[in-house]
Amino acid sequence: MEKQSHLLLWKAVFVLIIIGLGFGIYAGSKSIDYTWRWERIPQYIINTEATTVRSPFDGSATIEKGKLIVTSDYGDDPLVIKKFDNLLVSNGDLVFEGDPLAEVENWNIGPLTWGLVMTLQLSVVSLVFAVVIGLFAGLARISSNPALRYLSITYIELIRGTPLLVQIFIFYFFIGTVLDLDRFTAGVAALSVFTGAYIAEIVRSGIQSISPGQMEAARSLGMNYVQAMVNVILPQAFKRTLPPMAGQFINLIKDSSLVSVISITDLTKAGREVVSSTFAPFEVWFAVALMYLVLTGALSWAIQRLEKRLSASD
Amino acid sequence: MTNRTDKSIIQARNIEKIYPNGCHALKNVSLDINRGEVVVIIGPSGSGKSTFLRTLNQLETISDGTIHIDDVSLTDRKTNINKVREEVGMVFQSFNLFPHKTALGNVALSPIKVKKKPRAVAEQEGRELLKKVGLAERMNNYPSHLSGGQQQRVAIARALAMHPKIMLFDEPTSALDPEMVGEVLDVMKSLARDGMTMVVVTHEMGFAREVADRVVFMEEGELVFEESPERFFSSDNPRLQRFLGQVL
Ligand SMILES: Nc1ncnc2c1ncn2[C@@H]1O[C@H](COP(=O)(O)OP(=O)(O)OP(=O)(O)O)[C@@H](O)[C@H]1O
Ligand SMILES: [Mg+2]
Repeated sequence: MEKQSHLLLWKAVFVLIIIGLGFGIYAGSKSIDYTWRWERIPQYIINTEATTVRSPFDGSATIEKGKLIVTSDYGDDPLVIKKFDNLLVSNGDLVFEGDPLAEVENWNIGPLTWGLVMTLQLSVVSLVFAVVIGLFAGLARISSNPALRYLSITYIELIRGTPLLVQIFIFYFFIGTVLDLDRFTAGVAALSVFTGAYIAEIVRSGIQSISPGQMEAARSLGMNYVQAMVNVILPQAFKRTLPPMAGQFINLIKDSSLVSVISITDLTKAGREVVSSTFAPFEVWFAVALMYLVLTGALSWAIQRLEKRLSASD
Repeated sequence: MTNRTDKSIIQARNIEKIYPNGCHALKNVSLDINRGEVVVIIGPSGSGKSTFLRTLNQLETISDGTIHIDDVSLTDRKTNINKVREEVGMVFQSFNLFPHKTALGNVALSPIKVKKKPRAVAEQEGRELLKKVGLAERMNNYPSHLSGGQQQRVAIARALAMHPKIMLFDEPTSALDPEMVGEVLDVMKSLARDGMTMVVVTHEMGFAREVADRVVFMEEGELVFEESPERFFSSDNPRLQRFLGQVL
């Protein structure tokens, strides 16, 4: 009982601190005389635009069960509009060619959402390549063949020893020019090569954490090295490396914001563009941060689900 | 002693094993084992018993000498070692079951992946093998939900699923609680009765006395002494006496 009330107390402290921080932000913006204009943000995420439907011929309008039907005076097929947001004629009206009949609202995706989609594309494509690169580099890292091992070590050390931003510039300006890569490809290449080096280390430590007896048992049953890896070692290593892998995937999503420097319109670049047209930098960057959080949050939730599913054999 | 070479299934001749760290683990070890024979190897810790057993399926390469299994040379570079290993099952002291597979999954994995058997066939055979080792009720358990004795019996069934001609056991009961030793030894005894060729490293002298056709004593990397169980346990070889004095 004593313990319980203590826990409750500390939870209350947590809530208070969060509220305090929120107030701090609010007070901070007050002190620099900032007017919040949150209402400007949603249109950059999603907006509606009304288009007017006009009559293609002379005729008369009837409204039946929520549908607008225009029958032609000259025997053309009648026009039926099933969905509209704003009716501009009434039942029995005569209409002429070109008369406005109704307004239909179209949903438009705003620039921030396009940025989010681009970030998602960049991350997913890079993730696939990074996992492939990381798997092979990790296996090469523990290979008994010195050529493979040294190649892998060189790759890992080079990548981990230089900043991602510099690598993106090298990929875009040097490799991209030599191989004639477009921005997106150069960005994906830089991100996957970068993340691959970290995944390689995760794969290596994952495989090495599996007891050597597993490999011996698999080989003693007649499996060759590849069969033993694929059927026995990697599935176990996979499960064990899920938490660090999840961290790496989340880093990838966040690191993808750096490719905005080579003019890929990802979420971050979209944010910059929206700031310059709204003059509402605080709101935009908070919205952008929230959108990144949605991506990374969804990913870590999905991986936690997967971990739960795989824990059946524990 | 009669000349057994014409019907021996394992011929190990003049084996030397020096580990990369310089440890001289096997010194001129020669042993022939007949089809259907049960050979028990005993000896003090570090005498090279495991090393010898593991050379027989090439989990350990040898530095010198020759090994033939069913007339296939293991030292010949042209030999496909994976094919040889299909014929030579191994059971480990620490079970080494695949933790991500159920008991049945463990048993069926290699027949499916190596022998390319259809899953349904491999699983049917697997169920029969698990029944044979007394685990009909536990097929869908993961290793973490099995006792040590049950895990070791799954490991035996897993090795048998490849229909090996020879079974190697490296201290199969040493990691078990005493009350579980019997159930594993019973499975091994019934295997011996069915005519399986077995090489068993163990400290279970009762098992050696009862089941072995021959008992081999190793010490400091040398094969010191081999005899039928009756003569073995009544021998007055001083090195053997010293060892038996310690363990019995
Ligand atoms: N991988 C290895 N590398 C180097 N030396 C080893 C290796 N494995 C075993 N040895 C050495 O070889 C010798 C024989 O070891 P082995 O494991 O074959 O003995 P054993 O008779 O099985 O002993 P135990 O009863 O303790 O299992 C020992 O001196 C051991 O230290
Ligand atoms: Mg041993």
